[in-house]
Amino acid sequence: MLITKNIKMADVIHMNYFTLSVLNRFGIELGFGDKTVVEVCKKANIDVDFFLEIANAFVDKDYFPKKQLQSFSVKLITDYLRKTHYEYHQIKVPEIENLIEDMVKSGYTDKENLVLLKKFFNDYKQELLNHTQREETVVFPYAISIEDAYNSKTLENSVFDLMETYSISIFQNEHENIDEKLFDLKNIIIKYLPKQKKSENCHKLLYELFSLEQDMIDHSRIEDKVFVPKIRDMEKVITKRFAEKKQ
Amino acid sequence: MPKSTFIICEKSYIVRKGLISIIEKIPNTQIVQQFDSEDEMKNLSNIESDFIVINPNLLNKETINILQNAGSPAGSEGNSQFISLSEKSEITDINWVEFININDSQNTILTKLKTLIGNKETNESKSKSQDEISKREVDILKNIALGLSNKEIADKLFISTHTVVTHRKNITRKLGIKTVPGLTIYAILNKIININDTE
Ligand SMILES: [Fe+2]
Ligand SMILES: [Fe+2]
Repeated sequence: MLITKNIKMADVIHMNYFTLSVLNRFGIELGFGDKTVVEVCKKANIDVDFFLEIANAFVDKDYFPKKQLQSFSVKLITDYLRKTHYEYHQIKVPEIENLIEDMVKSGYTDKENLVLLKKFFNDYKQELLNHTQREETVVFPYAISIEDAYNSKTLENSVFDLMETYSISIFQNEHENIDEKLFDLKNIIIKYLPKQKKSENCHKLLYELFSLEQDMIDHSRIEDKVFVPKIRDMEKVITKRFAEKKQ
Repeated sequence: MPKSTFIICEKSYIVRKGLISIIEKIPNTQIVQQFDSEDEMKNLSNIESDFIVINPNLLNKETINILQNAGSPAGSEGNSQFISLSEKSEITDINWVEFININDSQNTILTKLKTLIGNKETNESKSKSQDEISKREVDILKNIALGLSNKEIADKLFISTHTVVTHRKNITRKLGIKTVPGLTIYAILNKIININDTE
């Protein structure tokens, strides 16, 4: 079912409780009574159209309004992506680490196996950190400069220099899948890890892995299918302007 | 296990959609084509499918002939199997394997279909177990886990890099593990390599 402006925000969560993480990223707090989506967004100073497209794409993997999403500003899109990164590092990853730690304590399986698992996740955590840091320190600032230049009436040579040193296609080529290792970890636990004690902690861990993996697939899809093409289009326009200026 | 494929022949849009939504609940199934008229069914002859679900009111001399020659996909045994979309059918030229009544509950239909799919799968899997990795694949996996590149593995085992890549794809598909660190853990857990062999 499609999330629309005038349904109650509470019903959005009832419909699919995974939207809680989207709400969290938009800074929407619970306790909104019977207020509608548009009312809640207004009060929290959120672009309701942007919220709707993001939330709908998040709950329904077949619904992907590429064109509509590309119409929002780079600032808005990258803010959302940044908040998602923040949530991964501050909430989701530590949660998973704790659950792995619980498995160690409960003696779920042989110690050596858990050491392996811990190392695997630790390496992954570092990789994820490098991935998001690169986006936040290099890619997003570049994209915002491109958007500024695109919206500006004057054509600064500094932008030309900037585009000489970096371009969104570099990012496109180096942008790696960050969900694959979660997929692996899930399967290792489900299919291959020998167990000794009760599975409860393990179920919680799997639940978190599934949810983070799904979340990251959605996140990367916005980066690859919305963010990258949007910047590429603006780069093209700017390049054309420079060419015209030279003539 | 290869997917179980279905063709649906039924005039009513509502019935078709309903049936499709039930079939899609069964894992590893695929609807390859739908037909809503005798005329359309002329195109059926070049489509392969494990099961053909058909309302007998779409049967006439011509369509019966087409159905009798319908083939199942390569790799499956025999011809397509026919499921009637009505409780009884006077037409005996077709060898019905099951009858679905319009008033059947969802569970009844699911049970009927799952039984048919189950029978087909046991027939197919008698000889080969498709999800187990072969001895050759274990060799490759071992070298991946030891940190060798595709090129290095190819040189070591005297095969082409292309073959290594194919093996890797099969290993990943069978195990459900995509990354090198993931495969390494699998290899250690299954004693294909020793933990001290890594770094
Ligand atoms: Fe990101
Ligand atoms: Fe990313």
